[in-house]
Amino acid sequence: MQQLTTLRSLFKFHSGRVISLGRVMLASTLFIIIMFGRSPTEFTQNYPFLVAYAAWAVLIAAATWKNWWLDARLSVLTHGVDMAVFTAIAFSSTGWTSPFTLFFILPLLSAAVRWSWRETALTAAVLIALFMIGGFLLSASAGFELQRFVLRAANLVILTLLLIWFGVHQRFARTFFRVEDFESVVRGGQNPLAESLRFAMRATRAGGGALIVGAVGEEASDGFVIGADGHRNFTAERPLTSRLGESGDMALLFDLDAGRVLTRPPEGYFRFLRAADVIDLEEAQRLGLTAGVIAEVATDTRQGWLALWDVPELSTDFLDFGRELAGSVGSLLDRYTLLDAIETGAAARTRLSLARDVHDSIVQFLAGAAFRIEAIKRSAKSGAAVDGDLDELKRLLVEEQSEIRGFVMALRQHRDLELAEAVAELRALAGRLGHQWSVDCHVSAEGDEVAIPIRLQLDLQQLLREAVANAVRHGGADRIDVGLSVARGEVQLRVVDNGSGFAPGEGGAAAEPWSLKERVERAHGSLRLDSAPGSTNVLISLPLKGVAA
Amino acid sequence: MTRVLLVDDHPMIGAALDMLLRGTGYEVLGRARNVAEANREIARLKPDLLLLDVNLPDGSGLDVLRRVARARARPKVILLTAGMDDAQLLTAADLHPEGMVLKTSDPGLLTECMDAVARGERWIDPEIADRTRRAQERAASAPPLTRRERELIELVRQGLRNRDIAAELGVTEGTVKVYLHSIFDKLQVENRTELALRAAELISR
Repeated sequence: MQQLTTLRSLFKFHSGRVISLGRVMLASTLFIIIMFGRSPTEFTQNYPFLVAYAAWAVLIAAATWKNWWLDARLSVLTHGVDMAVFTAIAFSSTGWTSPFTLFFILPLLSAAVRWSWRETALTAAVLIALFMIGGFLLSASAGFELQRFVLRAANLVILTLLLIWFGVHQRFARTFFRVEDFESVVRGGQNPLAESLRFAMRATRAGGGALIVGAVGEEASDGFVIGADGHRNFTAERPLTSRLGESGDMALLFDLDAGRVLTRPPEGYFRFLRAADVIDLEEAQRLGLTAGVIAEVATDTRQGWLALWDVPELSTDFLDFGRELAGSVGSLLDRYTLLDAIETGAAARTRLSLARDVHDSIVQFLAGAAFRIEAIKRSAKSGAAVDGDLDELKRLLVEEQSEIRGFVMALRQHRDLELAEAVAELRALAGRLGHQWSVDCHVSAEGDEVAIPIRLQLDLQQLLREAVANAVRHGGADRIDVGLSVARGEVQLRVVDNGSGFAPGEGGAAAEPWSLKERVERAHGSLRLDSAPGSTNVLISLPLKGVAA
Repeated sequence: MTRVLLVDDHPMIGAALDMLLRGTGYEVLGRARNVAEANREIARLKPDLLLLDVNLPDGSGLDVLRRVARARARPKVILLTAGMDDAQLLTAADLHPEGMVLKTSDPGLLTECMDAVARGERWIDPEIADRTRRAQERAASAPPLTRRERELIELVRQGLRNRDIAAELGVTEGTVKVYLHSIFDKLQVENRTELALRAAELISR
């Protein structure tokens, strides 16, 4: 057993070794045959040539055994030498009737193993051409047997076709389920079961399909079925098939009308079974199964079945193909789970940062309110009129109340805002700010109907607060126009005021207000400021996506 | 008349303190809303007393305090804060401001503190004093820095990246990360920026 494992590891993932060892064995076989052959002429003619070839084969095997660089570098050269040598041997021994035409298999097979079907086809074309040319050159000579020549040529062509098919098939299997294919499929907000099932159905061109997965060890599983009469979600209370083996990646072909099931373990023989012994027929009938393939699906945390029926060109190859496909569907489901976790995590982070904002804002506000009450108390003590101060405090409390309500709603909200809702909120805020700072503040909006994430909306609100405060404090503005537009995946907030403008910073340009800048940077947006006396124009662009804090 | 400069970014606090100090022996000269503005206004207005918030949008009020503490003619400073973590409390204790008041305490305490500081006394909110004492106990029970860790802090302070630090110390980048996290834990700092900013006081501990 130990030796077998060692032997496997020597050749697993070492097609180069297999080819060079094959060459050595073939060269030595030829050498032995000719050395002990009956014809002395052939012996003397071919002996030095074969010794050279055998030596070459050993040299190549030794040089490339552990050197993948050299193996790749020499692959085309050794391939060419092989073809030339075997053609030469065939025609220098007994010509077109030579049994050595069988040795053409080595270059053909090595091309199939090493490269793709294209190189295999090219090798075959060259070999057949060499064989034909040799044949025609000798066809005039005495003893030419057309029948034998045609037989050998046909042999070569058939072998070539098989190998080319094999190469195409291998290539197809390798590149069929690329990760990129998944990425184009997996998006948030999709039904993972439905999308994964559709993926499998597209791959097999199946007319109907069901995907059933449940948590390991639990009875009920979630299912999605697509059939002739539409699609639906369902809950499966029982397993669709009995367990077929220990590995958990079994596939079976079924034909319910004939009551047949065919299966084969990954490294085993066909097993011919009765459908009733393997498949829950009642459940199968409910889903609409007819004849097709069922494969076990496993993800990190769940397991279940992929069933496909009305599959065109169903064949025994679908046992392997179904298994591959079920593996891909499992990966796809895992990807959905990951995506979901990422989205949940981002939402949680947004909530956390919101909660921090709320906490900070409330604490500061309450502290300010307490200071005000202390001040009013003192004023009252000294006999001053406090009505105005109390009214102001009341107004602030009412305003803060609506701010807090906004924050809490945002924390509770499970969905993004419609653009119209976002604009309505900004208008209400602009009204409050206008009152607070005694300015005219108006909001206008244009653009596509898009969903505005809560975090983005809160950023917009905070940016508006800061922009208005800046305009009044630093510029002494009394009119502020706010424009909101959405285009090309960005939200633009333009705040134009009639104040005296920002003081120039270093280099002469208007100094960017740090509070705006910091918030914009955090939201991965950009900020532009054009400031001149009488008009200050702040243009803020924020991406609609990727704003999770 | 004691001339006061307020450093706080929250509009509600600013307006409320204006009201609170109206008609008292304090004159509010102006208000700064961030570290940069604070440094500028301190130099321009030369106040007698600074009411200083710790958490400012562009940095820490403690940076303003540190700068003030180094100046020759310096205003007295009262830290007015909504809350500080352990590291901030320890730094504040090292920098010896004249007064410290929590915004969440009784508003009467602020005026009490201001009066005491104006008289030349030191006045610390009892709750802050208590929290500082506990933070100091926690810090004292934390394992001391090793020589290697001190070297690493010095390199972080110089602004070197992990890769450069690794080359400098002859270790791998992964090792530097492990060291850094151990240092963050020991000193209870959040990140390398904070570590770099507070390196001097952390190493001297």
